[in-house]
Amino acid sequence: MKKTLLGLSVIGSLMAGAAFAQDAEAFRDGFIAGDLSWEDVQARAKEEGQVNLYYWGGSDNINIWMDSVAVPALAAEGVTLNPVRITGTKDAVDLVLAEKASGKGLGEGSVDAIWINGENFATLKRQGALMGAFADKLPNSANIEWNPDDPRSLLNLRDFGVETNASEMPWSGQQYVCAVNTARVPADETPATFAEMVTYLEANPGKFSYVKPPHYIGNTFVQAAVYAHNPDGNGAVPFQNSIDELGAAELARLIKPGMEYLKALEPHLLGAASGNVRYPEDPKALDGLFLNGEIDFACKFGLFGVATGLRDGTFPEGAEQFIFPEGNMIKNKNYLVIPGNAPNPAAAMVMANYMASVESQATKLEIAGMPVGIDPWKLSADDSAKLDAASPGLVGVTQAELDANTAPDTNATLVDVIEATWLEYIERDSDASIEDIVATAVANLK
Amino acid sequence: MALKSGSLALNERLSPFQKLYLLLIAGFILGPFIPLVIQSLAFRWAWPDLLPGTWWLEQREKSPLPLAWDYVLSPYSQIWEATVNTVFIGSVVTLICLIICLPAARVLAREKFPGKPAFEFFLSMPLIVPEAAIGIALLMIFINIGLAGTYFGIMIVHLIPTIPYMIRMLTAVYQGLGRDFEEQAMILGANRWQILRMVTLPMLLPGVVAGALFTFLVSTNIFLLTFFMGQGKIVTLPTLLFSKISGGTLDASAAGITLVVTVPGIILLLITERFIKEEAFGKGFGN
Amino acid sequence: MLYREIEVSKTKELARHRRERIWMWMQLLPVMAVLSILFGGALILGVAQSLGYAPWFGVNTFPDISYFAALWGDIFFWKSLWLTLYYAVAATLISLVMGILLALALVRTFPSKTLYKYLYKLPLMIPYTVGIALAVIMLGNGGMLSRLMAFTGFIDDPSEFPQILKTHMGWGIIAVYVWKQTPFVALTIYAVLLGVGRETEEAAAILGANKRQIFFQVTLPQILPGIISSTLIIFAFNIGAFEAPFILGGGFPDTLPVVAWRYFNDADYTLQLQGMATVVSIALVAGVILYTYLAVYRRYERRIGRH
Repeated sequence: MKKTLLGLSVIGSLMAGAAFAQDAEAFRDGFIAGDLSWEDVQARAKEEGQVNLYYWGGSDNINIWMDSVAVPALAAEGVTLNPVRITGTKDAVDLVLAEKASGKGLGEGSVDAIWINGENFATLKRQGALMGAFADKLPNSANIEWNPDDPRSLLNLRDFGVETNASEMPWSGQQYVCAVNTARVPADETPATFAEMVTYLEANPGKFSYVKPPHYIGNTFVQAAVYAHNPDGNGAVPFQNSIDELGAAELARLIKPGMEYLKALEPHLLGAASGNVRYPEDPKALDGLFLNGEIDFACKFGLFGVATGLRDGTFPEGAEQFIFPEGNMIKNKNYLVIPGNAPNPAAAMVMANYMASVESQATKLEIAGMPVGIDPWKLSADDSAKLDAASPGLVGVTQAELDANTAPDTNATLVDVIEATWLEYIERDSDASIEDIVATAVANLK
Repeated sequence: MALKSGSLALNERLSPFQKLYLLLIAGFILGPFIPLVIQSLAFRWAWPDLLPGTWWLEQREKSPLPLAWDYVLSPYSQIWEATVNTVFIGSVVTLICLIICLPAARVLAREKFPGKPAFEFFLSMPLIVPEAAIGIALLMIFINIGLAGTYFGIMIVHLIPTIPYMIRMLTAVYQGLGRDFEEQAMILGANRWQILRMVTLPMLLPGVVAGALFTFLVSTNIFLLTFFMGQGKIVTLPTLLFSKISGGTLDASAAGITLVVTVPGIILLLITERFIKEEAFGKGFGN
Repeated sequence: MLYREIEVSKTKELARHRRERIWMWMQLLPVMAVLSILFGGALILGVAQSLGYAPWFGVNTFPDISYFAALWGDIFFWKSLWLTLYYAVAATLISLVMGILLALALVRTFPSKTLYKYLYKLPLMIPYTVGIALAVIMLGNGGMLSRLMAFTGFIDDPSEFPQILKTHMGWGIIAVYVWKQTPFVALTIYAVLLGVGRETEEAAAILGANKRQIFFQVTLPQILPGIISSTLIIFAFNIGAFEAPFILGGGFPDTLPVVAWRYFNDADYTLQLQGMATVVSIALVAGVILYTYLAVYRRYERRIGRH
């Protein structure tokens, strides 16, 4: 009798679990259609209990913020945040796609949310692996500008030019800012354009290198070079089109001068004198070179990178930000996406809601130095002041200067092509023409 | 005359070159740990300083976030989790390996059967095939059957590189054992159980312990297989350390983590050196 | 009567023998099963995927040698193969020489020998990644050796320090391998020396042989099995090693395991399958080299009459 009861209850809970997962779809559809209230979402989130956030774990500061601020804050709402540190966003995307391929749907996968942007998001969207348009329906979505008529909403509606359709929540903004070691470089020699960089390197050979593609920081540097050397002189404008709109030949024509510049730059870079140019593989390596004075400039995403670097001891004492390259300091946002096979959709939304709140954005700014992803003009004066107070501050530049020199990212579909072109033309030192390389890269796109 | 030159020629003491050589080797092995320790205690240690420009303890008050050892020993670094995982996985793998290899080693040491050389070769093949090959080949299957990211998945994968070592060492032990002792005990009237308990096991024990320690060592040092099969969900000391230094630079917290990763190795060293003689290790590889 | 008794006892004997054989096979079974399924399975899956069988990617063009063709047709594959072999051979040879010298010193007596026996085994017990961290901190352009040179006035700038890490000469990689493997070789040879004993050496010395003759004609043949087995193991490891060439290598072209990793991490599924082809190639190369190495040694053993 006992055994039968036990067996029945096990079967019962299994079925309940399956049913729970099944009505995850119903829940999602209901929420997006607007039939459910936020209280319903919170109640279901408590039932689900856990949310698995997959994020890049390479920054100690972000990890500290995640563990010391985000986890307790969500525990107070009844949801256990399980931050999973990954070494590359692509790993999480691959996992989602692999699970989708083996038939796991909403409520059945392992990834609840991913910290993502760019071509990784484009891949998820293309493969139909998104949960849906949740991001503009959360209570804290009011902190974000969704109005398409307002030009400031661009980065909330489009991720590297790809429409987000509110399927990802803006989490952080960033700008590509370079740091200079003022202890080694006099102010009047600090370059502001790519041409001035070459001049500096001719006088001081080997004192610069950039993170290499396929790392996204490397891709961004290459993009900036491509913008600056745009033969039509209109910077980033043509690169907002997708590859289908541009075509391989046109793309090749546009990126050719930039690529040739980078190739001509190679003999001046770190290690070139001893015959083997060294490109650091990730920003940590870059910082290490910068600290030891092997390079005089370090370029990466980091609006507050110098301030936090000085605070943490990873940057040399004379480090300051500077305006380079003029007019092409790429600015973008990064997001939290909920994939289509998230096991805990309600909990994921509760987490996304928390991540868009002013407190989480302020503490994240203060501890991890990550610029805010919500839009300050949507906030009350008090909240806006809170964010300003939490900022680690800029070193050596003003906000006005930074705003005057922004540029958008390229369209997500172009990223892989430009990356492949760099790898083929510069790393493999191919003799093929840029037109051929681009054509092959476009043909290899899936 | 010949005797005298003989005793001179086979001097039991070290030549001056050998003395120097031993010192150099000691320096080579231990020397690099010194800057590692210093780096773990530094706040900022840039070129060309021989000692840190700013020490960790000086900066501790001023910094809002945990630095250096504060960070390493805090839950944020995941080091405790990694240590527990590493030891747990290592112990279970050693146990399973022991259980399945012991009977097989007995057979290999004593019996002959057709195809034995081929079998022995197959047992040693995991030493030849690179970890990358095994990890990459198995990964997709593991994801499909849901073993990726589980402790069980990692443990069974760890068996692959450890079995060859365990088998070799246990086989050598059994070969050294010889049947005579057991047979004599049987002649003297002991039953199977008594033979096992009072003759076989005590004689096996040193070799078994050596094999177990070596297997534990191999398992705790495995990186690539754990990294692939763990999918980031299960963090062990090698994977934690790798993600910290994969850029090729070492900051204070990375140096601290490196030192912590060294500690199990040092403990293992102390244990093995006290209880196991060189010969037990050498037997496994002297064939 | 006797005849039947003999018959009966013979059948009993046969039955017992068969039972024993079955018991023997059962004892071998767990190990066989685990290795066949996991390791054998890995090999089969690897080969299958490299030949185009990957239904989880939606690719099933088995048997498809295009991945191998693309791989082996690329000149950079052969460059990577050369680099892999070069690092492996160089590290093995250097570890061998250093290990033998160390073992020869260890058989002597000297003060604090017990302490030394703890010390020299340390690299054996800790993961390669620690060795890599040590290499970074010592040999990097911003590392200790560079700072010492700056301190003594030899260089003014980190770029003037001779590049050790991250070059294709691979000194950093080789240094890490040697750091880890010299103790292993020393341990093996030392154990063999202890087992063999010093009598033959003493006899040779008494008969008037000098040190060099003793080493090459007495000691070396005795430790040869230890040399062969330890170099086999470390060479096999070096060919397939990943962490050191990844972190300390000179970038493109990388060693084959790193190449396989890069392919496997690419978004493009055809490149992932090419990564399979790469690892299968590595396994093939390693297998062939090591098999030949062993075969030559066995032939030598037969020739000199050792069983």
